[in-house]
Amino acid sequence: MATNDNVIIKVTGLKKHYNKGAIHALDGVDIEIRKGDVVVVIGPSGSGKSTFLRSLNLMEEPTSGEILFNGVDITKKKIRDENGKLVKLNIDEHRQKMGMVFQHFNLFPHMTVLDNMTLAPVQVKGVDKAAAEAKAMALLERVGLADRANAYPIQLSGGQKQRIAIVRALCMEPEVMLFDEPTSALDPEMVGEVLDVMKQLAEEGMTMVVVTHEMGFAREVGERIIFMDGGKIMEENTPEEFFSNPQCDRLKTFLEKVL
Amino acid sequence: MGSLLDISRFPRLLPYTEMFAQGLAITIMLSLGTVVVGAILGVILALMRMSDIRPFRALGLDKDGHLRGEGFLTTLSKFNPVAFLATAYVEILRSTPVIVQIAVIYYGIFGIIDLPTFSLFGITKFHRFFPGVVALGMNSGAYLCEIIRSGIQSIDGGQTEAARSLGLSQSQALRFVVLPQAIRNILPAIANEFVVIIKESAVTYTIGVQDIMAVVQSVKGATYLILEPLLVATALYFCLCFPTSKIVAHFERRMSRGNKR
Repeated sequence: MATNDNVIIKVTGLKKHYNKGAIHALDGVDIEIRKGDVVVVIGPSGSGKSTFLRSLNLMEEPTSGEILFNGVDITKKKIRDENGKLVKLNIDEHRQKMGMVFQHFNLFPHMTVLDNMTLAPVQVKGVDKAAAEAKAMALLERVGLADRANAYPIQLSGGQKQRIAIVRALCMEPEVMLFDEPTSALDPEMVGEVLDVMKQLAEEGMTMVVVTHEMGFAREVGERIIFMDGGKIMEENTPEEFFSNPQCDRLKTFLEKVL
Repeated sequence: MGSLLDISRFPRLLPYTEMFAQGLAITIMLSLGTVVVGAILGVILALMRMSDIRPFRALGLDKDGHLRGEGFLTTLSKFNPVAFLATAYVEILRSTPVIVQIAVIYYGIFGIIDLPTFSLFGITKFHRFFPGVVALGMNSGAYLCEIIRSGIQSIDGGQTEAARSLGLSQSQALRFVVLPQAIRNILPAIANEFVVIIKESAVTYTIGVQDIMAVVQSVKGATYLILEPLLVATALYFCLCFPTSKIVAHFERRMSRGNKR
């Protein structure tokens, strides 16, 4: 299969159970995410969409199933290296290649914006401090926040914080960006500035998985829309079909409520 | 021998001024020694309680390398003997009176070990002073452990998640993200613990440490005055504790200044 080379993340039979199996947050999720995909995940609260996203970089440890990231099953504690030897899987190496943006920004409050952005490149990748700062400044320039480089997070608005959080993740040059409800904690007038940055990122060809309630964004920027409910993927479609011609009843009722 | 306060009786304490001064010096030395022992022990205990040493970890995985569901093996795989020991220590030390702990340590541990009996700075006997420091330090270590641990755990989990999502390891996330924030948060509680140490050091007179409280006992016996030497001790302890808490509060304000707009 020609498309196989482009698959970055391949999820098979992903399950996550809580409370001795009483709660099935994820109940068998299968999906392939290819390079350049903009996958938007929507669904009612408690549908498992955040758990799904957080499983992709193992912020949540799945109960069973596989997540192949660039061909490596990252749900395993130990993997076989190229010589067939069993070695410990270093999840940090994989997480470097997956940027994550959180609902509550999670900027480090004791560091300036610039230090927030250079911490991981310098400490994890061993990038020279000056080079890391130059790259961070260039990214800040792109999102129009270069003048806040030496500010502390407490001095920023919510929209600014989230834009910083996005470029902080970009500093690590990730292959995939995961967005966990990035605009849900924002005042309405600040949602636009964050979505604009994400849209720009999508246009540049970044592979993105976005959990969101912003239907406008899903329709406009999304390439594949996924509807989750009860820990399962109920429907997947192109934005046009998804919104104009929903198949399953659960999605129909959901769209009636939110649109 | 009325207990009613009579100012005219205070001059009878004047011959004992030097004894009170020595008692004050010993209380200060005792507190400083305790702070050092307690801080070291507190950090070690906190690290032990938060460690992830699980000798039976492998039992929690099934043959595919996934986590098993709940059950005996999962419970066993989560057992951390190091954390268990530290928790047991902390709970025992926090649930028994200091005065009992000091006696047990002095007569139990130091009843077996023979300490050299030289005189420390010419004012106290080492073989009584040292067990006092150890006993108070062991007690204070248990409280400091909990202060440090709760300070670290009070930092929002999102901070660690963000750090880990950027590829930082668990220890890097702790060092660069969690600890700098935690230390700022726990400073007031640590300062409070130092004041508590000064006050609690008073019970070491029960094992013969010549601190302020021991001087009170001696003076009481020699002069048949009860309230007056106690009031001198009250003044001395107040002069130690009150400035200490004020000085720490001052540094606290200075440290938090960088955090504001």
